[in-house]
This record gives sequence, structure tokens and C-alpha cells, in this order.
Amino acid sequence: MINVVLTGIGGQGTVLAAKILAQAAQNRGYHVRTAETIGMSQRGGSVVSHVRMGNGGERVASPLVSNGQADILIAFEPGEAARVLPLLKKDGVLVTASRVVQPVTASLSKTLYEATPVIEALQAREGKTVVVDEAPLLEEVGNPKALNIILLTVAMGCGVLGLTQDEFRQAVSECLKPRFVEMNLKAIDIVNERLGLV
Amino acid sequence: MTTRLLMGNEAFAHAALEAGVRVVAGYPGTPSSEVVETVAKLHAAGSAKGVHVEWSTNEKAALELLAGASYAGARTLFTCKQMGLNVASDALLSLNYVGVEGGCVLFVADDPGPISSQTEQDTRRFADFAKVPVLDPANVEQGMDMMGEAFALSERYRTPVIVRSTTRVSHSSTFADVADETQAMQPAGFTKDDSRFVIFPARARRGHVEINERLAWISREASGDAGDWETPNGGRPGDLSRFNPVCQHGEDPKLGIVCGGVSTEYAREALAMLAQAGELPAYRFMQVGVPFPFPDQAADVFCEGLEQIFVCEELDCVIEDAFRRLMGDRAIEGKPVARVMGRKSGDAPSVGENTSDDLRARLARFLGVEDPAADGEGFDTASVAVPPRPPVLCAGCPHRGSFYAAKRALKKMKLRGVFHGDIGCYTLGNAKPLDAVDTCLCMGAGITMAQGMGVADPEAKHLAFVGDSTFFASGMTGVANAVYNQHDITICVLDNSTTAMTGGQPHPGTGAMLMGPQTESLTIEGVLGALGVESVQIANPHDLQESIDAITRAVSFEGPSAVIFRAPCVNLFRSAQKAHIDGETCTGCKRCITSIGCPAIGYNGKVAVIDPAQCNGCGLCTQVCPFDAITVGGAE
Repeated sequence: MINVVLTGIGGQGTVLAAKILAQAAQNRGYHVRTAETIGMSQRGGSVVSHVRMGNGGERVASPLVSNGQADILIAFEPGEAARVLPLLKKDGVLVTASRVVQPVTASLSKTLYEATPVIEALQAREGKTVVVDEAPLLEEVGNPKALNIILLTVAMGCGVLGLTQDEFRQAVSECLKPRFVEMNLKAIDIVNERLGLV
Repeated sequence: MTTRLLMGNEAFAHAALEAGVRVVAGYPGTPSSEVVETVAKLHAAGSAKGVHVEWSTNEKAALELLAGASYAGARTLFTCKQMGLNVASDALLSLNYVGVEGGCVLFVADDPGPISSQTEQDTRRFADFAKVPVLDPANVEQGMDMMGEAFALSERYRTPVIVRSTTRVSHSSTFADVADETQAMQPAGFTKDDSRFVIFPARARRGHVEINERLAWISREASGDAGDWETPNGGRPGDLSRFNPVCQHGEDPKLGIVCGGVSTEYAREALAMLAQAGELPAYRFMQVGVPFPFPDQAADVFCEGLEQIFVCEELDCVIEDAFRRLMGDRAIEGKPVARVMGRKSGDAPSVGENTSDDLRARLARFLGVEDPAADGEGFDTASVAVPPRPPVLCAGCPHRGSFYAAKRALKKMKLRGVFHGDIGCYTLGNAKPLDAVDTCLCMGAGITMAQGMGVADPEAKHLAFVGDSTFFASGMTGVANAVYNQHDITICVLDNSTTAMTGGQPHPGTGAMLMGPQTESLTIEGVLGALGVESVQIANPHDLQESIDAITRAVSFEGPSAVIFRAPCVNLFRSAQKAHIDGETCTGCKRCITSIGCPAIGYNGKVAVIDPAQCNGCGLCTQVCPFDAITVGGAE
């Protein structure tokens, strides 16, 4: 079983990222279940997507990943990574964006909410932690909505998803509207090249 | 056939279409809305042939419409969330007595947690009260099977049938095979029969006999009792026992595990984890997928030899109660009984969602084995605090301006105001710093609660905030009451041209139907005027002064008054403009943050800053900055 958890803020694109991984796993013939946060939390609240792939030919029962069972956690915001960290295996991989998004609760508070202490605390964990400097990549890709593809590409580079680059690209092509496919495939190339992943 | 990744609700829509459903109607509500949306999408794409699909004004309207279609022989599908069934209950409880002709299936989605709801109402319990059969899927695939079977069951016994799902089934996805094209079954048309379709006391008395008779038959079907009786529509009995599957681990078990809904999958997951850690004692496992009418015979067989039964279910202790009752029956008959453990007995959490983690720990205890609890990573929250991130009104949401203007106007008039909220995105106006929702009860209640509190607390001004879709769904009767009984309240209709919270569905005020051409829309000012509201103001909530003036006029009016705040939801219309804060002029007073609490405005320790990725350029912040440091300009 490969368990993937994606987390972020409503509207950041975690749902589509989960769909791409599910499609890639299905193309391999794995049984797949995913679960999404839909409803009130989508209004700028914390959201979590679960993707479970039966890579040993097994049937997936629960659509949700249990505590300490995620092989990889892909976070679109570092504070959100911290929030769902208990789902991640101790030796699991964490891929996280580095820019914090200020919730209104933080702007109203007297204490500042800043990226550095959160990221330092995340990096202190024993398992592999990859902090992505997404700003220059987003700029080069030229689309602020491409954060999901950037993070997925980095996650692919970590090798725990059990998918080949071709399978990943194929799933991206199948899940996106045709007019967005080329831009996203190019984004994958840019990330792989800039970070020396492939 | 095509294999597609489908969310539970999408899959259930496909299953209903494949069963030949002819008329589909409902009212949006998380986690149920995607069923109607999927039918509409497939109809628009041309693959769902012959189906009529609509968002009705509210759940009661939807179910009554479907009752009519069903009497004429059409297969019909109703959808709502758990509280929506309360709105439709008047129709349902009589419809059950009359019975149906074409299969009539009610898809009702419950929300354990609750995650996006006011209550943890259990539709299985409702079904028992309403004396209507209910099917309860453990996963998407089983839900598809149940949806198809529900139409056949409904027709066999001329009964409405509920398929109840929960959030984790409705909003989980898996790959499923679906037909590329479906064709609605053609109904025979209505045949006049006053002995069936006109409800009088004598008809109701006969109807009650019919209900009791069919529930006994359906309980036997649920137990796999292949008896030989003629069903009310002249057919043969079916077999529902596949929805109550039993399996066994080991020989002569003394322990039984019974599950309902998604907890079945959580328990399977938990048992697999326990089995991986070590040898498990013998146990018997049952899913109760037909919680009402309860499969008494199958459950009785399941109990044989068991000494303890652990029940895994969410919301109410429906299955636990049924097994306790069964034990009473067994005791009377002198049969051995088992101890039943679950939510009522205190052996499982009495509220909220179940999880595989929690069930693993409880089942380990129940089975007498060690719990191989897997600790995940922890985050040292003592050293680094991550601020909470509750849902908020979107950046640029017009409701923010409406609430802020109302607060400002009352402050200026030196009046104490009570703000009665309602169900929708605008409930989020409750959050700080707006802090502009003082009560919230149920759909449409704000308008009527304001009237009652106005009687009991006349020193305050009572303002009711209601969304446009909620206004049509259940606000209009409250307005009529205010005019009739002359209550001095101000109704603020937040008209953003959509049903926003549930994902942006059209409603009577938009004139957009799910099928066919754009129609003439119902106007809120027209309805208010027709209902006799004499003072009706219209304001643009992004214009602060205009909005304050409108509230001031309306609140000053004696008798029922209204303000329509009109601007589209940001999810319908996004301005390319962005706000900019001049870092030189900004003094860091944080007024923009502490007054309106827009998620696009942050603070860097010195000055306020705009996050251009979130800003929608509504310009409200430019009107609250005391130093004119904020401007709105073209796209970056």
C-alpha cells in the first residue's frame, strides 16, 4: 500500500493533484481510493486530500490514511504540513512549499506567523524533508496556479510514489483540460531541470 | 462502458441513470450536492437521455414534485443532506402512506463530525420513524449497487426507499465502470385511482397496514429469506442479503463485530492491521447495510454462539439498539444472549466520526490482543505555534462589506443591534473581526427569529441576514409573517447570484435552470414588494457609504424593512484588479485588518501587505484605511 497525504488551503489545488496520482495508480492497475475535504473548509480553511494505492494488488478499504501510515506528505504551505504531520510515517518523506499564507487569525494576533521557525522545526525531523523554494519556479512557469504540479514533480523525484516519469506525465495529460496540458508538462520539465531531479 | 475516477456522489448519479431514473430533483447541501450536479452534467453532455433534472426551490418542493412524477410511473430520485430531509418530511411521511408507483429513491447524505452541518442527525433513525426502508453503503461500489437495487425495491413494495450515505462515502473516490449512455425509462402515465392516490383517514388506515406488512417482508428480504409471497406490485420477492454480508475468522467464535456504513471499512482496515501484528482469536463479522427494517432473522443467526458483540457505527446507536432488542427477544425465548457493546454502552465514542485508528485500539481491546499503534510524526507545537486556519469569507466576498456596513451604521446611530444569521457562506460573518452573526439556527430561521427576539427584547434593533438562495428556499414565509404581524425588523438579503457555500448552484433568482434555456428570474425586490415590505433599499456592498446609508434608512423605518446587498460571488466573477498598499504611507495601524479581516491582507511586523494571489480587488479596504494608503489598480 502506498499512502499519500496532500494538504494545503482551500483553493490551492490539492484536489487536482490527488486526482493525478489516483489516475497514474489506476493506469498501473492498482486499486485506488481517495478522499477530499469538500464544503465549508474549502473557504480558505485547512484542507487534506488522501490517496491510497494498493500497489501489492490489494484492495483498499478505508479511503482515509491512518496516523503514522503516510509514505509521503505533500504540503502546499509549511504550517499546514505541521498540522497533519501525525499522519506521516516517522521515516516518511515530507515535501513542503516554503511560503507561509497568513490566516486572518495570524494577522489579528500580536505574534507574527513566519516561515523560518516552522520550516526549521520541520527540518529537525528524522525522515527526509524537502523544502521547495517555489517562488522562482512559479515565476519561470508563469502561472501561480502551478504550485500543485511543481510539488508533485518534486514528490516524483523523491522516488516513493512508485511511478515512472512517463506514467506521471501520462496522468497529467489525462486529468487536465487539454488547453492546460502543455503548460503543465513544461512546468514538469522546468522543475526537473532547475532542481536537477531527473 | 468506461472506467472513470468517480466521487461517491458522482458514482451514485451514474447508478441512478443506469437504473433508468426519469426525474431528478433536490436542494443543494454538503455532502449531497454532486449527485444532481452530475446528472445535470451528463444530461448537458447528451449522454443521459430522457432525464429531467432540476434544483427545486427547497427539499419539500423537490419531493412533492417527485411524488407526482412517481404516481405517473416515473422512476424518481430525490437528493438532500440530513437536515434537508426535515424540510421534506411533511411530504415523505404522507407519501409513505399513499405509496408510490414508479420507483422513488431518496438519496440523503449524513455528515458525521459534523464537518459541514449544524447537527449529527442520523437518517437511519429518521427512516425508522418514517417507516421507510433505508440502505447504508460502506463504500462507493456498494452504494452504486444499492442505488440500482433501491429503485427495484421501491417498485416491488410501492414504498419510498432511502439510500443514506455519509461524507466519507460521498466524498471519497474510486474507479468505477459506468455506461457511456443511459436512457430514462418511459413512464406509463397517471391512472386515476382514488383508492390509492387521495389520502383520507380511511386510506391512511389501510396505508398503515400496507406499510407494516411490507416492512416485515423487506426485513425477510434483508435476511435472505427466499420466501414465496406476492409483492404489492404483483411481483416476486427479491434478495437484499448481499447488503448484510457475514464472514468469519477461525472456528466457533465467541466474539462478534457488527458494522454500519463507512465504519465497516475502518474496521476491516483495523482488523487487517491487527492481523499483521499477530494471531487474532476467532470472530464473526457482519455489515448491516439494511439498518431498517432490521434483518432480524440474519442477525439472530449471526448471534449464535457469540458471547460479546462490538458495534462500529457513527451518529446514533441504531444497530446497537437493534441488537439489544434482539437480545431481549432471545432472552424471552430462552436462547443464550451476548453482551452488546458500542456507543450507548460507553465502549465507543458517543459522538463524532469514527477512525481506523480509534477502532483498531478498541477492537484490539475487544479481541484481547496488543494494539500495534503506529505513532506518526509529531510537531513540537510548544516551540513553534502554527495559527489555526478556520474557513473565512473569501477575499473580495461581498458579504464582508454588507456586515461591516451594518455594524458601522448601527454604531453611528448609537443603536444596539442583534444580527440574526442563517445557513450559507455568510455564517462565516461570525468570525472575528467582523463578529457580525449573533444567532444561527436553520435554513430561513434568521428572519423569523429576529421577529421573536424583537418581541422579547424590543430595546435592540433586529437585523436578519439571509442569502439569496436561502431567501427563496425558506425565507419568504418569514417575510410574510413579519408583514402580517407587523414586526419591526430589517431583512438584509445578501444577493450574490448563487448558492455559494455548496459550490455555486443556480436558484430561482438567477433564472438559470439545470436544463433548457435561461428563464425570467424571480427578483428579490419584486417578492419583497409583493409580500408587502414597504421599505426596500438596494445597495452595492463594495460601496461602504452607500451600504451604510441603505442600512440607516431601513433600520429607521418603522415596520418590516429590507436591504438587498447585491454583488456577485467572487467565485462567479473575479476582478483582474488588485489592491496595493503604499508602504510609505501605511502607518501599520492595522485598521484594515482589525475592521474587515480580509484573508488577502497580512501584516509584516511594520506595515500591512496585500497578497496579490488572493486579492480580488473589491476595494473595501481602500474605504476603511484612515490614511488613504491603499489603492486599487489594474492587474500586475
